Amino acid sequence: MKKFVIAAFAAALMSTAAHAEKIGVSIALLEHNFLAVMAKGMTDYADKLDGVDIQLEDAQNDVAKQLDQVNNFIASGADAIIVNAVDTSATQAMTDAAAAAGVPLVYVNRQPINVDTLPDGQAFVASNEVDSGTLETKEICRLLKEKGKGEGANIVVMVGELSNQAAVQRTQDVHDVIATPDCSFMKIVEEQTANWNRAQGQDLMTNWIAKGVQFDAVVANNDEMAIGAVQALKAAGIPRESYVIGGVDATQDALIAMQAGDLDVTIFQDAHGQGAGSIDTALKLIKKEPVDKKVYIPFQLVTPANIGDFLDKN
Amino acid sequence: MKHVSAVAGTAAPSRRKGWPPELNALIGLIVLIVLFEILGWILKDQSFFFNKLRLSIMITQVAVVGILAIGVTQVIISGGIDLSGGSVIGATSMIAMSFAQSSVFPRAIFIEQGWVDLPIIIPILIGLAVAFTAGLINGLLVAYVKIPPFIATLGMMVTARGVALWYTQGQPISFPTDSFKAMGAGLMPVWIFLGIAIIFTLILKFTLYGKHTYAIGSNEAAARMSGINVERHLLLVYTIAGLLAGLAGLVLTARSQTAQALFGVTNELDAIAMAVIGGVSLSGGRGSILGTAIGMLIFGVIFSGFIFLSVDAYYQNMVKGAIIVGAVALDQWRQKRQAMAV
Repeated sequence: MKKFVIAAFAAALMSTAAHAEKIGVSIALLEHNFLAVMAKGMTDYADKLDGVDIQLEDAQNDVAKQLDQVNNFIASGADAIIVNAVDTSATQAMTDAAAAAGVPLVYVNRQPINVDTLPDGQAFVASNEVDSGTLETKEICRLLKEKGKGEGANIVVMVGELSNQAAVQRTQDVHDVIATPDCSFMKIVEEQTANWNRAQGQDLMTNWIAKGVQFDAVVANNDEMAIGAVQALKAAGIPRESYVIGGVDATQDALIAMQAGDLDVTIFQDAHGQGAGSIDTALKLIKKEPVDKKVYIPFQLVTPANIGDFLDKN
Repeated sequence: MKHVSAVAGTAAPSRRKGWPPELNALIGLIVLIVLFEILGWILKDQSFFFNKLRLSIMITQVAVVGILAIGVTQVIISGGIDLSGGSVIGATSMIAMSFAQSSVFPRAIFIEQGWVDLPIIIPILIGLAVAFTAGLINGLLVAYVKIPPFIATLGMMVTARGVALWYTQGQPISFPTDSFKAMGAGLMPVWIFLGIAIIFTLILKFTLYGKHTYAIGSNEAAARMSGINVERHLLLVYTIAGLLAGLAGLVLTARSQTAQALFGVTNELDAIAMAVIGGVSLSGGRGSILGTAIGMLIFGVIFSGFIFLSVDAYYQNMVKGAIIVGAVALDQWRQKRQAMAV
């Protein structure tokens, strides 16, 4: 009798396994808008695929809770686990637990501290921060050429919070693009922080105008600072045709500013795409297909030409 | 200062020796301006100071924190401290802005309820009510529950930031009505700051409220002995500080035309620094709004000066930090010298 029960139980397990891959997902904080869209990307994508079951859990920004969730996924026989880490420096424990149980693990959106030492069967899915600043600067480079300024153009750079990795990276991207022969006509005349902040962007730009800085483009690390710059430029009566301006994030405010003609370029981080990409990667890991340790979902360039595609996305 | 000692009957040290601390700050301000002016002609071939636009931005960019600093100044004079200002700015900004949205924006928070395009007085009153509550709680905790001001307002700093983040789960709120925008447009923040500064200068100098504030800061026990209701007075001091933080939040929101949950982060420290640089003593009983206003201008001149000279932002932060520490050191030194003079 006992044997029979076990056999039946095992059969049941196997049959469900044959029917559907069970993927446990732990999101750092579902109230966070971007993460909510990302989670929706996972469930939407899983619904489309046949035979993928998702169990979605909210870690509510609690490191201990997240580790519990991962251990519970393992205990309940999940085929793979996707983690959006609460604390990116506390990921080793989850990596160890999943590796010991032989369950594939995918980190999504937030880069775990052990990303370079992830064992087999684990991967990281996100957008590559290098792309955002690069896409932005390249588009501004193209627009300047289009305006006939390909012989020489001055640009000013508004930097985010100095402690922030994204600010450092996006600013480096500006320098890297300008170092290419294609865009070497661009010259940085001012580079200063405005701490991601709109009011500080306004103040910084007004100070530059007071100083008589001549520029053809404003490259901001995020949309908020770009919008602040626009407010200052408008207040000072600087004609719109005289400059190109871009930011990063494709926030609602930025998209509406772009529709009003105030902003030329912004960059969209694909939350939905990261969600779907993490499921794809998990499925590949389950099937033991080769997977890169870092899977990048591309950032997307948003301009007045394609803005319609992005209005309802994030 | 003389009338203070008279009211409180305390032995506040005579300040006839040496000059008023405001003068130190004023000299510092002038030295900075002259320094930037000279460097300007050497490095940039233009005047730093005699530039209408730069003059206006130098003041405008610090006016919001200046409004906050006025509230903080009277708290410090009363012998306390208020660390919650920056977070109260954040909470006020978020909640007030949700009632100041224009119907132009289809995703306005309360568009379904029809609470858009509301007259400007509604977001202002709601914002001030939020700030009033925060200030009142600070005051109750400090005056009646007897929690040290540093701890009580630290608690409010964390709580109010929590409220700001919780309100929309960190999502920004934007697209205010035109009348709300006007509150922060152009030089409006400066006029509001000036109005508040003049009012509080008069209040601190000529009213009983002012005299009691100085008296409690100089010597709380003596103030109590002379019949001042210290608890009730401190409650008022912290509530007013809360209200001014709220006003700063409203002006910042109008100026930015958006509310973000992280608005005002570390502004409380800037405000305290402005007061201390302006000669407001951290041990209470001494200082003036004029001093704080000069401290504020020093901050404005430094911001603009560094951008003017294209100095890397890293150095800006270092200098800012050094100025804050330097000002407190100066305050300590001043007190020591004064104690010795008595």
